[in-house]
Amino acid sequence: MSARDEAALVVDARMMEPPEPFVRTMEGLDELKDGEKMLLLLYREPHPLYRTLVNNGYTYRSQTAEDGTVEILIWKVAA
Amino acid sequence: MQAMLSFDQAPPLAAPLRFFLSAPLFAAAAGLLLLLLGPELLASRWTAGALAFTHLLTAGFMLQTMVGALLQILPVATGAGVARPLGVARAVHGLLTLGLLFLVGGFLTYRSELFQGALLCLGGGVLIFLVAVGRALAQIPMGSTIQWALKLAVAGLGVTVLLGLSMLVNLAWGLSWPLLEITGIHLAWGLVGWGVLLLSGVAYVVVPMFLLTPAFPGWLTRLLAPLLFLLLALWSGAEAAGWGGAPLLAALVAAGCGTFALATLWLLVRSKRARLDATQRYWRLGLACAVGGAALWAVGQLWPALGLWPGLPLLLGMLLLVGGFMSVITGMLYKIVPFLIWLHLQNAGQGRVLAPNMKRILAESAMARQMAAHAASLGLLLAAVVRPAWFAWPAGLALLLSNLWLLVNLWRCLQVYRRHLRHIGEQLAAAA
Repeated sequence: MSARDEAALVVDARMMEPPEPFVRTMEGLDELKDGEKMLLLLYREPHPLYRTLVNNGYTYRSQTAEDGTVEILIWKVAA
Repeated sequence: MQAMLSFDQAPPLAAPLRFFLSAPLFAAAAGLLLLLLGPELLASRWTAGALAFTHLLTAGFMLQTMVGALLQILPVATGAGVARPLGVARAVHGLLTLGLLFLVGGFLTYRSELFQGALLCLGGGVLIFLVAVGRALAQIPMGSTIQWALKLAVAGLGVTVLLGLSMLVNLAWGLSWPLLEITGIHLAWGLVGWGVLLLSGVAYVVVPMFLLTPAFPGWLTRLLAPLLFLLLALWSGAEAAGWGGAPLLAALVAAGCGTFALATLWLLVRSKRARLDATQRYWRLGLACAVGGAALWAVGQLWPALGLWPGLPLLLGMLLLVGGFMSVITGMLYKIVPFLIWLHLQNAGQGRVLAPNMKRILAESAMARQMAAHAASLGLLLAAVVRPAWFAWPAGLALLLSNLWLLVNLWRCLQVYRRHLRHIGEQLAAAA
C-alpha cells in the first residue's frame, strides 16, 4: 500500500513558505483520530520536524519521489 | 498539539543573531572610511584604505553573516548541529571582531603589532569555528549534495584564512614573501572556495524553501562544489608555478560561478510567489551583478585596453562584493531573521501563546525602502570607481546610511522579540 493510500489526511506543503508547513503539520496532527496517519509533502527533508515528532511520541517514514517530493507518513506510536 | 513544539537542537537565538547584527556595522564602517578618505581610497586596489575597505566588507560583513548562517543552517539542512553553539558563537564572534579591528588598524597605520594581534585573533577565531563545524559535519553520513557543498566551503575557508595568515606573518615580521601572487590566490579562495560554495550550499536549501521555486537541478548540486574546488586548486597551483594554463583555469572557475548565478536566476523566474518581495528583488539584483561581474572580467581578459585599466579590479570588487554577495546575503537576512524570531517565540509560548505573524515582525515596506538605499549606494560606488573625485564621498555616505538602515531593520525584529517574550511571560504567569 502506498503512503497516499495509508494516510487519512494529506498536507501538501510544497508551495508554502516557512513557518506555514510546520504550523499546518501541527494542526493536521491535532485532527488525527487514534490509529490514523498523516502524509506531509515537501521538497526537502524536514530534519527539525523529525526530532520534534520523535520527542513527542510520533514516528514517521519518508521516501523521495521522482520529482523530488519528499513524502513523510506520520503516525502516533502505540502507547 | 501546538504545545509539542520543541526545537531542542536549534541554536539559541543569541548564537546567530550576534553575527547578523554586527555585520551591517562593518559595512557601515567601510562607508565611513570611504567618506573620510575620499577619492584617495580608490586610487588603486592596493591603497591602505582600499585594503581596509575590502576587508571590512569581506572579513566583516560577509564572514560574520556566513558564520552565523552556517551555525544556524547546519541542524536544519543536515540534522547535525554544532555542540555548545552559544559558547562557540561567543568565542568566534569576539575573536573575529577583535581580529578585524586589528587588521583594519594594521592596514591604515602599518604597525606590526596590530598585524600580530590580527594574526592571533583571526587565526584563533577561525580555528575554533573550523573545529566546531568540522566535528558537526563529520557526523553527517556521506551522500547528500548539500553536505558536499558545505564541507568543501569550510575547507575553502580554511585555505583562505591560511593564505591570509601567511601574509599577516609576512607583514607582522617584515618578511619578503611574494605577496602579490598570494593575494590573488587568497582572494579567489575567499570569494569562490568559501563564498560561492557556501552560498550555493545554503541556496540549495533556502531558495526553494523561502522563495517557492522548483528545486535546483540535480546535476548542478552534485557537480558544482567538487568541480569548482578542483578547478580552484588546479588554478592555484598553475598561478603559483607561473604556468601558462592558469588563465584558462580561471575562465573555467568564472564560468562555473556564472552557471550557478544563471541557474538560480532561472529558478527565481519560475517562483510560484505571486509578487516579488524584497528578498526576491535582492537575489535578482545580486545574481545579475554576479553575471555582470563575470562578463566584465571576461571582456577584460580579451580586451587589453580594459584589462590594463587600474580601475577594473575596483569595479569588479564593487560589483561582486557590494552588488553580488551583499545583496544576496541581505536578502537572506530578511527571511532568516524574522523566521528565527518567529521560531523562538513559538517555542517560548509553549503552544499556549502563539507567535506573531512573520509579516508583523518586519514590514515589507521597511525592507523595500532599505533595498532602494542599498541599490543607490551600489550605483554610487560603481560611479565612484570611474569618477572618484565626483562620487567617492556620496558613495561612502550612501554605503554608511544603507547599512545603518539595515541594522535598524534587524534591530526592530529584536525589539518585537523582546516585547513578545514579555507578553508570553505575563500570559503564562496569569494562566499558572
